[in-house]
Amino acid sequence: MIQDPQHYVTGVLNRDSLMLAKTITLIESTLPAHQELARTIVDRLLPHTGRSIRVGITGVPGAGKSTFIERFGTMLTAQGHRVAVLAIDPSSSRSGGSILGDKTRMEKLAIDPNAFIRPSPSGGTLGGVGRRTRETLLVCEAAGYDVVIIETMGVGQSETTVASMVDFFLVLMIAGAGDELQGMKKGVLEVADAVVINKADGDNLVRAESAQKEYQSALNMLMPASPNWRPPVLTCSAREGKGIDAIWKTILDHRDKLTESGDLAEKRKAQDLDWMNFLLDDGLRQWFYASPHVRETLPRLRRDVEEKKTSPAAAADSLLAFLQTRNGK
Amino acid sequence: MAHHPHLPKWKETAEKEMKGKSVDTLSWTTPEGITVKPLYTAEDLEGMESVNTLPGLAPYVRGPMATMYTGRPWTIRQYAGFSTAKESNAFFHTALASGQKGLSVAFDLATHRGYDSDHPRVVGDVGKAGVAIDSVEDMKILFNGIPLDRMSVSMTMNGAVIPILAMYIIAAEEQGVSRDKLEGTIQNDILKEYLTRNTYIYPPAPSMRIVADIIAYCSREMPKYNTISISGYHMMEAGANSVLQTAFTLADGVEYVRAALRSGMDVDTFAPRLSFFFGIGMNFFMDIAMLRAARFLWHRLMSQFNPRNPKSSMLRTHCQTSGWSLTEQDPYNNIIRTTLEAMTAALGGTQSLHTNSFDEAIGLPTDLSSRIARNTQLIIQEESEICHVIDPLGGSYYLESLTSSIVSEAQKIFDEIEKLGGMAKAIESGMPKLRIEESAARKQARVDQGLDVIVGVNKYKLANETIDFEVREVPATVRDEQISRLKEIKASRDKKAVEKALADLTSVAKNGGNLLEAALPAVRARATLGEISDAMESVFGRFVATTRCISGAYASGYSGDNNAVTALRRRTTAFLEKQGRRPRILVTKMGQDGHDRGFKVIASAYADLGFDVDISPMFQSPEEAAKMAIENDVHVVGASSLAAGHKLLIPALIEELKRIGGGEILVVAGGVIPPRDYDFLYKAGVKAVFGPGTPIPESADRTLALLEEKYLRRI
Repeated sequence: MIQDPQHYVTGVLNRDSLMLAKTITLIESTLPAHQELARTIVDRLLPHTGRSIRVGITGVPGAGKSTFIERFGTMLTAQGHRVAVLAIDPSSSRSGGSILGDKTRMEKLAIDPNAFIRPSPSGGTLGGVGRRTRETLLVCEAAGYDVVIIETMGVGQSETTVASMVDFFLVLMIAGAGDELQGMKKGVLEVADAVVINKADGDNLVRAESAQKEYQSALNMLMPASPNWRPPVLTCSAREGKGIDAIWKTILDHRDKLTESGDLAEKRKAQDLDWMNFLLDDGLRQWFYASPHVRETLPRLRRDVEEKKTSPAAAADSLLAFLQTRNGK
Repeated sequence: MAHHPHLPKWKETAEKEMKGKSVDTLSWTTPEGITVKPLYTAEDLEGMESVNTLPGLAPYVRGPMATMYTGRPWTIRQYAGFSTAKESNAFFHTALASGQKGLSVAFDLATHRGYDSDHPRVVGDVGKAGVAIDSVEDMKILFNGIPLDRMSVSMTMNGAVIPILAMYIIAAEEQGVSRDKLEGTIQNDILKEYLTRNTYIYPPAPSMRIVADIIAYCSREMPKYNTISISGYHMMEAGANSVLQTAFTLADGVEYVRAALRSGMDVDTFAPRLSFFFGIGMNFFMDIAMLRAARFLWHRLMSQFNPRNPKSSMLRTHCQTSGWSLTEQDPYNNIIRTTLEAMTAALGGTQSLHTNSFDEAIGLPTDLSSRIARNTQLIIQEESEICHVIDPLGGSYYLESLTSSIVSEAQKIFDEIEKLGGMAKAIESGMPKLRIEESAARKQARVDQGLDVIVGVNKYKLANETIDFEVREVPATVRDEQISRLKEIKASRDKKAVEKALADLTSVAKNGGNLLEAALPAVRARATLGEISDAMESVFGRFVATTRCISGAYASGYSGDNNAVTALRRRTTAFLEKQGRRPRILVTKMGQDGHDRGFKVIASAYADLGFDVDISPMFQSPEEAAKMAIENDVHVVGASSLAAGHKLLIPALIEELKRIGGGEILVVAGGVIPPRDYDFLYKAGVKAVFGPGTPIPESADRTLALLEEKYLRRI
């Protein structure tokens, strides 16, 4: 493996997909050495980032996310855009392995020279999906992709994480998925910039349209995140390619309105701050648990708590006091 | 009837033999989930609807014909075709001279998928898994010297079914045979293509229209021709157990009946020409029972449409012995397997049968292996004396019980499908595909653990495998021959007439009308198969499959603690700790072969062993597979090949990887690859080759060892 960060930086800036892929591997790696290298690379690429439209897509399983992205992505590349798709697939908790099958449903986009698709397993990385997806997004921007799509499976916490790093968060639904909606985090609708009812075709059309009304009235009851944007509910058929164009227009409209009002710049700023806060929390925790004193003391304290020799609060206090003594030195 | 008076005595005696253990411990649960007891008696048959019926009469459990083989034995119909039309024609003549009664044509994958031989996507496929047909000229050569008014011809075609059937009709016409005299079967079963075999072209809705158009045209113009062969064979090969095969096949059948009824036909005008095609595996009694149960159920299911003609609810079927059961290891064993399966089909009452050649896990059948396969049936028919009695196992306590169990289990699954809105909707939901894949993964796990024995593979293995017989290979020149004939045809035909005929076909596709009828003028004008397919594709579009893959099924097929799985998981985790990520493998299938069982079982199992597994779309070119390997930054690519394209496609993949900077990505290969090609592949840079029957832990172990060697030991 090449150790020189500049090698990767130059490769990414030259839009070399091999080097882009290798950089993403470094970002995703669990090895400290790889992460350090990745950090340097991302830092050097930072001036070249921020110029894409960042779109997050989530939806219940079976909503047709991949088929939608296939249509959406090929439409964009045909218009001259360069599209990167980052897909997050679940890792098995038992084996740790994963099946990354997104490209099987993105047959045309997968071979499109103006598209780059990278599926990633959800498991096994320090800092979780949030850290590496955010950095991967930046690297894709530096490699000249002007639309970056982040696809996430529709169950679990990853969608709010993804919503916190994109400009536009799209929730894909299908008619009759009311029950599934219960299974999804309710919060998903709160962070949606648009809800799209897919599979509005054939004998499903009427149901899709009535679902559209239901979701619209549900959304109307929520407080919009920005006074300048009321999340619309749209319908489309990814299979037949209908309504895809209108979704892109909505995304552009959102960008124009929020750029004009200054909301978009605020949003990205807030996202950066949130991100810094997360990194601080995460870093503190990692540093704390990695320190020799804590590693040495913690098992004993755990035992003491279990055996009721000390109270949980007293045990925590005694360990946290270590922070102060360090501070005092 | 009450208990057999001596049943308690038997139990006591048996348990004494077993040193006190209960006889219940001898019960066995089949892969279908049916519990098989050690002994069946008359009492097991009480109240069974399917017992004590007569052949030729409803519900046809004992056979569709009143005399069955006592009148005439089943038709020996060997599926064949490879290379050029000329080569296949010569092969047909030999077979017919040696006792074969009907023909069954295998087409190459380029033809199946609607591509002419000169299409860039099919370089590895032309003439490989069947005969290459580009125009009616090829079709005429294929049947040269074979009188089509007297020969029943079955054609396995589903995707490019319009041009192929049209070419067959015109080839006969130019032979002087009018279409009403044509006898035989076109497979025309598109639903199962979306389920397992993947040799479709168009999306489901226009494909179903094509099926209905063919049924309509043939019922009117070709009264002796079977318009569809509703196939469970490919489901079995994909891993479906016998209950799944029965339920899904009959559900497909009902869906076709409904499609034809919707197009305004009367049930009795077409239902008598529906035929079936079942796959026969190694579970001897199970599959005899399956054929009997299928006939019973079809009669039951068809009664909802109120046919007046009894033939409308009579299930007639072709059978084929299982290709999956053939092993590359100790391949002469396959002769015995095929013999047993042929017996199963005969005792189940099939109307025609294909027996596989013993060398089919290694290469294409040769003259010798084809002769043995054919003779297997001739010997059963003419030496074993089993044809003198109709349904000789009828009344067997065990077999009748099994028949009844399959009926009730398959009915349950059928009902589930009806709840989803019929088979087309069920396929859309993904349910049948997942069931089959789950069944396949469990089977693989049982085989890998040795719970299901395969002699020569997981038990009684040979120390040294040698091949002392000829292996047939299709010469690389086939594609060149086809291309030069295409050039000739295109130069000599009336260009304007071709364009007009194709435009007319496109218009029928768009505005309605019978597609088969509209394709005939195009074929007469010498339009090619690719051109005819494109003329329809411009309206219908090309279908893109949704590949879903289940995880967990392989590991759950392993009962309890298993050292192999645990050890491999430990190693993939160790790899993660040292490399910062799990070993990542891209499983890909290049070329036009759509059999995706192996590829999916591998994907599912490797994920269960702790790999991160990328799956590529079907029908990849080497360039596309390489792009994906690079973008996903995988450690290794596993290329699956079942259709003899490996010598072209896999080296091309390695070259392309090198060209675009992925030279360090390892390539391993698996599938039907003849051992004498291993060296060729190793020289081309392939690091490991896994033949059919390689247990997954073994292939995973070797792949992982290669990665460990490359990434962990070089410090």
